[in-house]
Amino acid sequence: MSYIGIESLSIVILVGVAVGAVLALQSYVGLERFGSTQFIGPIVFLSMTREFGPVFTAIMVIGRAGSAMTAEIGSMRITEQIDALQTLSINVHQYLIVPRIVASTLILPFLAIFCALFGILAGYITSVYLLDINPETYMEAVRTHAEVKDIVNGLVKALIFGFLFSVISTYKGFITKGGAKGVGIATTQSVVYANVTIVIADYILTSLMFAK
Amino acid sequence: MIELINLKKSFGTKVITNGLDLTIGDGEFLAIIGRSGEGKSVLLKQIIGLLKPDSGSVIIDGQDITKLAPKDAAKIFKKCGYVFQFAALLDSLNVFENVGITMLEDGENPEKVRPIVIEKLRNVGLGEEVLAKFPDELSGGMKKRVGLARTLMLSPEILIYDEPTTGLDPITVRLIHELIQQTHEASKKRTSIVISHDIEIFKFATHVAMLHEGKIVYTGLTKDIWECNNPYIYQFIRGLPEGPIKQIGFEK
Repeated sequence: MSYIGIESLSIVILVGVAVGAVLALQSYVGLERFGSTQFIGPIVFLSMTREFGPVFTAIMVIGRAGSAMTAEIGSMRITEQIDALQTLSINVHQYLIVPRIVASTLILPFLAIFCALFGILAGYITSVYLLDINPETYMEAVRTHAEVKDIVNGLVKALIFGFLFSVISTYKGFITKGGAKGVGIATTQSVVYANVTIVIADYILTSLMFAK
Repeated sequence: MIELINLKKSFGTKVITNGLDLTIGDGEFLAIIGRSGEGKSVLLKQIIGLLKPDSGSVIIDGQDITKLAPKDAAKIFKKCGYVFQFAALLDSLNVFENVGITMLEDGENPEKVRPIVIEKLRNVGLGEEVLAKFPDELSGGMKKRVGLARTLMLSPEILIYDEPTTGLDPITVRLIHELIQQTHEASKKRTSIVISHDIEIFKFATHVAMLHEGKIVYTGLTKDIWECNNPYIYQFIRGLPEGPIKQIGFEK
């Protein structure tokens, strides 16, 4: 849990800050044409909580911890360490797979909170101190348009993403074969499959949660 | 007793065991010999359930494990211990955790496990100083001893060694062979099966079986092996280039 969560925190916050700041800048460019710059706040808030928080967190954790999971379990497979556990009558799923899936599923919403929070903060700082948006107007617009449901649904998405990527990462590691080359192939495949799965799952979940 | 009956196993087009029959009696110390790539490890992995045969029977103590439900088969496999060729120690765990893993995973207090681990390590000629070391800090011989100590934690009735002396110097080879013999003799009920290319194993094993092209072509007592006229055994133990065993890649 420490490797997946605490050690991924800095990179997740960094991505959140970058996305939040860029989102504020890009929204300003578009909204200024219509004289609607007061909506930058809600755009940043809703985008970070509903979409970018959970999705970018999942993508970063897949690259960092998901790949490591596949490589570690894959190496254990090709060096007969998993076979050794089986011969010792140890439940390899219980020992290797379940803790990683549980940790990933539980930790991803917390990381997504940090990603969204720092993204919103970076969006606020960019809007107020760089783009001269009135802070009162910014916060009032956020209060008017944001709902608790936006935050909850974002966290549910993160929870599901955590489960999905960890299942893919551990499964690809578990079925690894073919030596060091096989570990490399399994790791690449797990990162690609997990990212594609997250994007597809995001579309489905967004349709179910937010579409009217 | 272990009985292998008409055992068949293939990987794609490569036939590994091709209708193999073998009986291993209780308390036997059997050496399985054969060329590299003959499928000796695959044969043993079918006995302990790491690989499933395509067809045939693996009967351990009267029960055909190929026909048992996984839960029932697991009870039989608990009687078996397997010492891997390169020890297969978990490299994220230290020696104490590796050897004591079965008890620690059962929720035993580490303080209670520690003396038992120390005793098992002593049985294989290692001291307490290795407890905190990780596998990458151990020599090849030490890894194999730790691997054996880990297997002994379960007090298996059937102990299987997959090429336990590969890559070791002659002195360590001798020590490992003596250790295997001592471990075998420590329990009268224990059946030991060793895959080896090293003919020194004949000094320790009671029986020998030779695997060639997916079948057992010879079984007998090791004390008779140098007088044996079986052409496969004759050629193999003397390392002769001429005979029924064709050297793949060296054909004239």
